Amino acid sequence: MKFRKAMALAVAAGMVFSLNTVNVFAEGEATDITLWTYPVGSWGDSAVVDGLIANFNEAHPDINVKVEYLDYTNGDDQINTAIEGGQAPDIVLEGPERLVANWGAKGLMVDLADLWTDEAKEAIYDSVESACQNNDGVFYEYPLCMTAHTMAINRDLFEAADALQYLDEETHTWTTENFVKAVQAVYDNGQQNVGAVYCSGQGGDQGTRALVNNLYGGTFTNAEHTEYTADSEENIKALELLKSMDGINFDASIAGGDEINLFCNGTLGMAFCWNIAQEKNNAENIAFDVLPMAFPSEDGNPQLCGGIWGFGIFDNGDEAKIEAAKTFIDFMANDETQAAESVKASSYWPVKDLGNIYEGDDLMTEYSAFIPYMGDYYQVVGGWAEARTAWWNMLQQIGSGTDVTEAVNEFVTTANAAAAAAN
Amino acid sequence: MKSKTMGAKAYRIFSLIVITIIAIGFAFPLYWIITGSFKTSMAINAPSPQWWPQEWVSTNYEKLFSRQTAPLWELAIPFTKKVFAGPVVPAAVRWLINTVFMAVVSMFLTCFTAAMAGYALAKKRFIGRSVVFTLIVCAMALPKQVILIPLLREMSALKLYNTIWAVIFPIVGWPFGIFLIKQFAEGIPTEMMEAAKIDGANEWKTFVSVAYPMIKPGVGALAIFTFINSWNDYFMQLIMLSSTSNLTISLGIAKLQAENATDFGLIMAGAALAAVPIIIVFLAFQKYFTKGITMGAVKG
Amino acid sequence: MSTKSRMSKALVRRETIAGYAFMLPSLIFFLGFVIYPMIQCIITSFFDSTMNREDIFVGFGNYIELFQDKVFLGALRNTIIIVLVSVPVVCIFSLWVSSVIQNLRGPLCSVFRCVFYLPVVTGSVAVTVVWKWMFNNYYGIFNYVGKATGLIEQNINWLGDEKYALGCIILILLTTSVGQPIVLYVSALDNVDQSLVEAAEVDGATRLQCFWKIKWPQIKPTTLYILVITTINSFQCFALIQLLTSGGPNHSTDTIMYYIYHTAFKLYRYGYGNAMGVVLALAIAILSGIQFKLAKSE
Repeated sequence: MKFRKAMALAVAAGMVFSLNTVNVFAEGEATDITLWTYPVGSWGDSAVVDGLIANFNEAHPDINVKVEYLDYTNGDDQINTAIEGGQAPDIVLEGPERLVANWGAKGLMVDLADLWTDEAKEAIYDSVESACQNNDGVFYEYPLCMTAHTMAINRDLFEAADALQYLDEETHTWTTENFVKAVQAVYDNGQQNVGAVYCSGQGGDQGTRALVNNLYGGTFTNAEHTEYTADSEENIKALELLKSMDGINFDASIAGGDEINLFCNGTLGMAFCWNIAQEKNNAENIAFDVLPMAFPSEDGNPQLCGGIWGFGIFDNGDEAKIEAAKTFIDFMANDETQAAESVKASSYWPVKDLGNIYEGDDLMTEYSAFIPYMGDYYQVVGGWAEARTAWWNMLQQIGSGTDVTEAVNEFVTTANAAAAAAN
Repeated sequence: MKSKTMGAKAYRIFSLIVITIIAIGFAFPLYWIITGSFKTSMAINAPSPQWWPQEWVSTNYEKLFSRQTAPLWELAIPFTKKVFAGPVVPAAVRWLINTVFMAVVSMFLTCFTAAMAGYALAKKRFIGRSVVFTLIVCAMALPKQVILIPLLREMSALKLYNTIWAVIFPIVGWPFGIFLIKQFAEGIPTEMMEAAKIDGANEWKTFVSVAYPMIKPGVGALAIFTFINSWNDYFMQLIMLSSTSNLTISLGIAKLQAENATDFGLIMAGAALAAVPIIIVFLAFQKYFTKGITMGAVKG
Repeated sequence: MSTKSRMSKALVRRETIAGYAFMLPSLIFFLGFVIYPMIQCIITSFFDSTMNREDIFVGFGNYIELFQDKVFLGALRNTIIIVLVSVPVVCIFSLWVSSVIQNLRGPLCSVFRCVFYLPVVTGSVAVTVVWKWMFNNYYGIFNYVGKATGLIEQNINWLGDEKYALGCIILILLTTSVGQPIVLYVSALDNVDQSLVEAAEVDGATRLQCFWKIKWPQIKPTTLYILVITTINSFQCFALIQLLTSGGPNHSTDTIMYYIYHTAFKLYRYGYGNAMGVVLALAIAILSGIQFKLAKSE
C-alpha cells in the first residue's frame, strides 16, 4: 500500500524534525539566552550584531546568545505572541516606552536593581535614569544609547524653490510661520508632495507627535505623565493647520518606514521620521543634500522627542538565564572597550560620558547639535501601547475628513481610559 | 436563424477579448514579481514604470541570500538535548524547506485521518454519528482567528509553540476534509462491503481494499486542496512561529517587507523565491492538479 | 434505513467500536485543536482577561460592550460585505469564463485555466506584496496607467482612502479565489450531456433556455461545492488586510478576523477578542448549517 508507506515515512520524518526550537546549543554547562532586537541603528543588522556577540563570547564563552531581529511594524505582536506562547525572549533591546511602560507594567520584566549600582546611577544622565524606572522606582531597563528624533528636508528642492530663506541652517531651527511659507514655496515650485503625515500604523509615530506638539507649543501628556493632553487648544490648532496646508497629505497608506524611503527617493520633499541613523543607513540611496531640521515651533525653540534604547530582561523563571542575561547586558553597556562599540553600532549617542566616541565624524557632529533640544520623555505614561494605536487611528480620521476637535477628543478619551486602567 | 448565429459569434469573440484582457491582469502580478526581482532599485522606484528591465541585475537575490543564515535542517532527538544541525545556508532556503515540509506533512496527515473518518461517517452506523457530523459541518467554515488565544496557549502548554507542528496540527484538525471524503464515501455500494466481509475481510481490510479505491479521487482532491491551503495559511504561521530558522517562506517575505518598507527589489526577490517553486510544481503536475480538483466536484 | 431496524444490539456495538476506531485519529486533531480551543474561547469570553493577570469574571459584559462598539459593528459590516460581494461574483465570473473557454480548441483552454489559477499558487503573501506596490499612492502602476490614459486626474491613494480601500481588498481577494472554481466549472460543463443540448437546440430552445433547463441542473452540485469553498475562503481573508491596510484607514477595512487579532495583540483584551470570536463562530455555524440543509434538500 503506497499510501501507508508514504504516511509512515512522513510521520517518521516528522518525529525527528520536531523539537527544532531553542535547545540548539544545549551542550555541556553552557547557558543559552535569546536576544531580540528592534532595528536600533545597526543593531538590526546581523553582520554587525554577530561581531558584537563574538566580542562577548571571547569574554564569556559559556553563554550562548541567539539573536532574532524584529521590525517596528510587527515586532510588538511578535513579542506578545511569544509571551503567550511561553517563549518570550530573555533579553530585548528597545526603549522604556515598551520595556517599562508596557511589559514592565504588566509584570513581565525582571527588576534590574543589580545593574543599577550607585556607580551606574552616578554615571548615567538623570533624565535617562528617570525614564528607565516606573513610578515606584523599579528599574526595568538598562540603557545603552539615545538620540533626538528630528525631521529632515531635501535641501536641493528647498533651494530650487528659494525656500532656504525661511530656515536657519546654522541652528537647524525654524518658526511655524516660516515652515508654512517654506512648504508653500516648495509646493508652488511644482512639488506636489512636500510632506506626508503618515498614519497607516504606529511605525515612526514619534515624528507625527513631535510635529503636532511643536507647531504651537502643545504637549502630549501633562508634566506628571499621568494624563494625555493632546486635546489642548495648541494641538488642535496644529492639526488644523496641517490639514489645511497645500503639499501636506494625511496618508493612511504609509508608515514611518515608507515615509523615509519616499523621502530618500525624492518623492517627498521632507521627512518627519528622521534621525542620524536614517541618514547613515540610507546614504547609498540618497541623491540629494539632506538637511536635518528641528521641528518648527512658534518661538523657534523646539522640544524634540528623545529616543532611549537599552536592555530589559523578560522573567522566564530561569535564574541561570536571568544571570546570564545580566552578564550580557553588563558587558555590552559597561565594559570599558565594548561600551563604545555597542553604542557606535546603534549610531546614536551614549547615555553617559564615554568621551567623544565620534571624534572626527562630521555627520555625527552635525546631528549632535540637536541634543540640547531634547524635550520631555513622556513615553512612560500609562496605557502607552493603547494610546499609540489610538493616535494613528485619530490621524486617519482627520485625514478622511472627521472634524479635528471630535477626533482629538475621541483619542484623549480612549488614551486616558487606558492610562486610568494602567494606574 | 443566421442573425442568431452571428450574434452568438459576436458575443463569443467579444467575451474572449474581455477574458484575455482579464487574464493578462491575472498574470501581471507574477510577471511583475519576476521581472521586478531583476531590476535595479533605480528602475524599480522610477516614477514611470519600466515594463521590461533595461538592465538585469542579480543584486536583489544576493541581498536576499546574504541577509540571514540558518542551518539547512535541525534534527532533534526526542527527549534529549541533542540536535544535529545541517550546513549553514541562507535563511530563505531554510524557509522554503520548512514550508514544503509543513505543506506535505499536513497534506498526508489530513488525507490519512480524513479518509478514515469520512468513510466511518458515511458507512458506519455508530452511536453519536449525527452529533459528530453536525459539529463538523458547523466548524467547517470557522476562521482560525476565532480561537487565536486559546490555541496559542494550548500550543504553549504542549511545548509546541514556535515549532512547525503548531501550524500543522490545527490544519489537520480542520474538519473540511472529513466532510469532503464523507460525500465521496456515500457512493460506496454497501453490497460490496458486505461481500468483502463474507470473504472474511476484517474492518481494516475492508476499508483498504474496498472503500479506499472508491474514495481515492476524493483523497486526491483533498490532497491538493490541503497542500495549497497550508502553503497559503499565513495566519497560523504568523501566530505560531517566531525564530528565524522556523519561519515559512510566506512569513519570511512578510517580515522582509516590514523590515525594508520599500526595498521592493529585495521583496520581489523573496516573493519570486516563494512563488516560482510551487508554480513549477503546479505546471509540471498540471494535469493531476486539475484532475484532482475536478474529481472533488463530482460529488459536492 | 431498513438495515438499521434489522441491526442487532451486538451489531450496533460493533459498528460503534469500528466507527470510532476509524474516527479516532481525526477526532484527536479535531477535538484537540478545534473544539477544545473553542470551548476555552467560550469560557474566556465571560472574563476580562489580559496578559499576565488573573482573569476577572464579567458575565455578559464583553458581549454587551461588543454590540455598542462602533468598530466591531463596522468590522461586522465589512465582513458581511466581503462575503456577500465575493461569493456571488466569484461564482458568476468563473461560470462565465468557463463557458467561454470551455470549447476552445487545443491547449488554449488549459492555458487560460492555468493563468486564472496562477494567483492561487503564487501564494497570498507574494501576491499581496506586489499589489501593495501597484496600489502605491506615489509611484503605483494604477495611478500611472490611470493618469496616462486620462481615467483619473490626480493620484488616488487607493489603500489610504476610505472610499477605495475595501474595494481594493475585495478585488485582490477575487483574483486569488476564482482559479479553482474555473477549473471546476470547465470540467463540469465538459461533462454535460451534449446530445441533450443538441436535441434542445433542434427543438428551437434559446441559448438561455438551453442553459437553465439542461446545463444548470447538471452543474448544480459543482456550484454548491464552489459556494462552500468560496465562503470559507472569504472568511479566511486575513493576510491581505494585515499586510495591506492593518484595518485602516479609519477602520474601513477592519474585518472581524482582523479585529480579533488587533484586540488581542494591540489592546491586550483577550476576553473581549474571544467574545467576538464566539459571535463570529455562531454566525458562521448557522450559515454553514443553512448552506448544508439547502445542499441536502437538492
